[in-house]
Amino acid sequence: MRQPTASRRRVLQGGLATAATVGLMAHTRPAFAYPTRNFNVTIPTGQGGGAERLARAFDGPWSAMLGRPFEYEFFPGAGGQVGYELFVNRRPADGHHLLFGNMGPEMIMYALQRPNYTFPDDYIYFCRLDIDDSCVFVRADSPIQSIEQLVDMAKQRRLNIGTSRIPHPASIGLLALGDATGAQFNLVPYGGGNPTYIGTINGEVEASVLPITGVISQGERFRILGIFNPNQSVFGAYTDAPLVNDVFGTNLPDLASSRSWAIHTRWADENPEHFAMLEDTSRRVFDDAAFAQAFEQTGAPVEALAYGDRELCTNYALAMIELTERYRDVLSAGN
Amino acid sequence: MGWDTALFVGLLGHSLGLLWIIVPAVLLGIVVGAIPGFSAQNTLIILLPVTLTMDVDTALTFMVALYCATHLGSGIPAILVNMPGTGGAAATCLDGYPMTQKGKAQQALVVCFIASTVGGLITSMATLALLPHLAQMGLYLRSVEMVVIMLFGLVLIAAIAAKDLLKALIAGFFGLLIGVIGTDHIYATPRATFGFLELYDGVPLIPALIGLFAISEALMMVEEKMLVRTDGKPSRAAQWKETIEGVQLSIKHWWQIVWTAFIGLFIGIIPGAGASIASFVAYQQSRMFSKTPELYGTGHPQGVIAPEAANNGVTSGTLVPLMAIGVPGGSTAAVMMVVLQYHGVVLGPRLFTDQPLLAYGIFVSMCVSYLVMLLTIVPLARYMSQVVLIPTQYLVPSILSLTIIGAFANRGYAFDMALAIVFGVIGFIARKTNYHVTAILIGIILGPLFEQYFVRSLRIGQGDLMILFSSTLGNVLWAFLALSLLLPWLRTRQQRRATAKEAN
Repeated sequence: MRQPTASRRRVLQGGLATAATVGLMAHTRPAFAYPTRNFNVTIPTGQGGGAERLARAFDGPWSAMLGRPFEYEFFPGAGGQVGYELFVNRRPADGHHLLFGNMGPEMIMYALQRPNYTFPDDYIYFCRLDIDDSCVFVRADSPIQSIEQLVDMAKQRRLNIGTSRIPHPASIGLLALGDATGAQFNLVPYGGGNPTYIGTINGEVEASVLPITGVISQGERFRILGIFNPNQSVFGAYTDAPLVNDVFGTNLPDLASSRSWAIHTRWADENPEHFAMLEDTSRRVFDDAAFAQAFEQTGAPVEALAYGDRELCTNYALAMIELTERYRDVLSAGN
Repeated sequence: MGWDTALFVGLLGHSLGLLWIIVPAVLLGIVVGAIPGFSAQNTLIILLPVTLTMDVDTALTFMVALYCATHLGSGIPAILVNMPGTGGAAATCLDGYPMTQKGKAQQALVVCFIASTVGGLITSMATLALLPHLAQMGLYLRSVEMVVIMLFGLVLIAAIAAKDLLKALIAGFFGLLIGVIGTDHIYATPRATFGFLELYDGVPLIPALIGLFAISEALMMVEEKMLVRTDGKPSRAAQWKETIEGVQLSIKHWWQIVWTAFIGLFIGIIPGAGASIASFVAYQQSRMFSKTPELYGTGHPQGVIAPEAANNGVTSGTLVPLMAIGVPGGSTAAVMMVVLQYHGVVLGPRLFTDQPLLAYGIFVSMCVSYLVMLLTIVPLARYMSQVVLIPTQYLVPSILSLTIIGAFANRGYAFDMALAIVFGVIGFIARKTNYHVTAILIGIILGPLFEQYFVRSLRIGQGDLMILFSSTLGNVLWAFLALSLLLPWLRTRQQRRATAKEAN
């Protein structure tokens, strides 16, 4: 075997030294090593829905800060379970794979179905985008004028009420209202907000329950009768509908839906600097007027936007699990 | 708002100015539609970053042209190699492929292209003129009426295989059983998924379609040297004469193009319904009103016209709820809504007063797209029909590789490739034992939708079955359905009596 000559040895030594330096630089400059490619976002609902519109409104300013664009995949089915299972079990925990979901209904699904992943061990929510109170609404020309009238009617006969899905905060709100007042509601799930609007417009159901921002974005087609919020709603500029608790003196819990970005817990724990950068940049998006403008263009009220950090999101999600346990019987097929 | 000629002429000029984007969109749409598994919806999702950078008029025109062209393109493989590009072209196989086997592929393609483009053109113009009324019409159809519309499609199971009703029913019920796999519509509880995450949202249509039609057909082809039954005669090159024959056939059946296209338009308006349902219902209705129903399924041109005109009638219908009430009528319309909202377009009734150029322009762009398709694709039928002359030893591997990729492309699950192969084997066994694969597919497509509307109706009726007969429109549809079932029976009885008299 031929031995390397002196000059070749020098070249090899130089090459090794360069490689070592580059390697060292890469190791000591984590801020520059992330992100290294485009972000892949799993959305556990269908395309064209509220989640996609909100995520796209948000990703403009965020991708400008991160220097990488976002690519979306849609995996609806089983109340979001398909998307979550796929994200947790089949997407690498590399910080480039995110999930954008609706914490309210999807935590209810999690609590009911007990799927093959664990919250918050497998994934965490780290940036809440909005607070979307649940509301009861009717079509604009409905004879039902108020929430009191609706409840009175429901005491006489069981009323058909449209909803996106039964495991949903809005559905829990209505069932809890029925429990508290003796009214009888028959929930009719339509599998999404859009078909629920159609069912309400064509009079197939007497009223419906959904998150309020979508209803407001539909303009004057609907009249909101009541809002499920234990404290104070921020949507006073769009509707004079009262808070349900104020009308009936009930103590119904917070039943808002909230969309949030989520990421694998393992990656967040193993890469605290990169995760902190994600948290920081996502928070700063709320200071960018372009986000609010893009959100408003979807027809939704900008008052719904409200940042929430990892801790707040985790507390919200755990509270939703607890709420589900209270209403498990009426939310599951076992009933 | 009434008909405004000046506005229409202005919009037409504007749309013609966008020919530079319409032509490539049409070409891309035809190619995408012709490959099973690649739909308008996933192509538009892939191209979303591009369309978001265009101005809203251009983006919308591009999406609409591509969407319409996929509906036309999906009929091409259905006719040539018995594998529909999308579910909307599955009914086209019933007569399109037998025409090919008879050596009439070119005529079948021309009939398909003319029915598609003229059907699409007429319904786009009708939508333009009647938009506010059509938007209202969609709201009259509730879950109860949808149950009956689904049944119109399901009775086709019995109609397509009248020769062996028992086998048709077994195949149909098998399809319905497969259709119930997935989560239930009320509580989202998984059923018969065997723990496969990929089945939680039901059996995906594309792998089922690819397996039952494409793979099983490819396996059948292996036994033949050529697709066309030449009966020992040498194959000849295609002639312009056959294109002209196809045009004449289309002109002869112009009225059928019109009314079946309107079936597509009305079904398209209903949110959640789509081209698959429209084409099966149109085929069933066309057969029912035909003077020669016995010819359906044997390579009858009217059996190509009905589903093709209907699935292109759907294209304008599906945009009506999106534009008029801001609710997308289907998954492709949902992608369009993302682009419109990204550009700050507020959808709903105010759109027609605030932005009439955009609101009506979309349907004028659709008309121009169909005109472009009509002028460009009909002459190409002569060359496309030559595909059937490719020896199966080359054709089969190409089809198998392309369709397996198509099975994967739709959802990105490797599982779907295996599922397509499983359905391929099921389809092959079904063909060998004379069970109709279309009957299985009808069950798979319509079963989940029927269940969804049926269960919802029962929920609304709070368990009372009489809810199904509670609406006037629903009852009218029930009467039509009963007529659909009785008419062929009465006709057969009459024919038997006449034959018996003649024999005596």
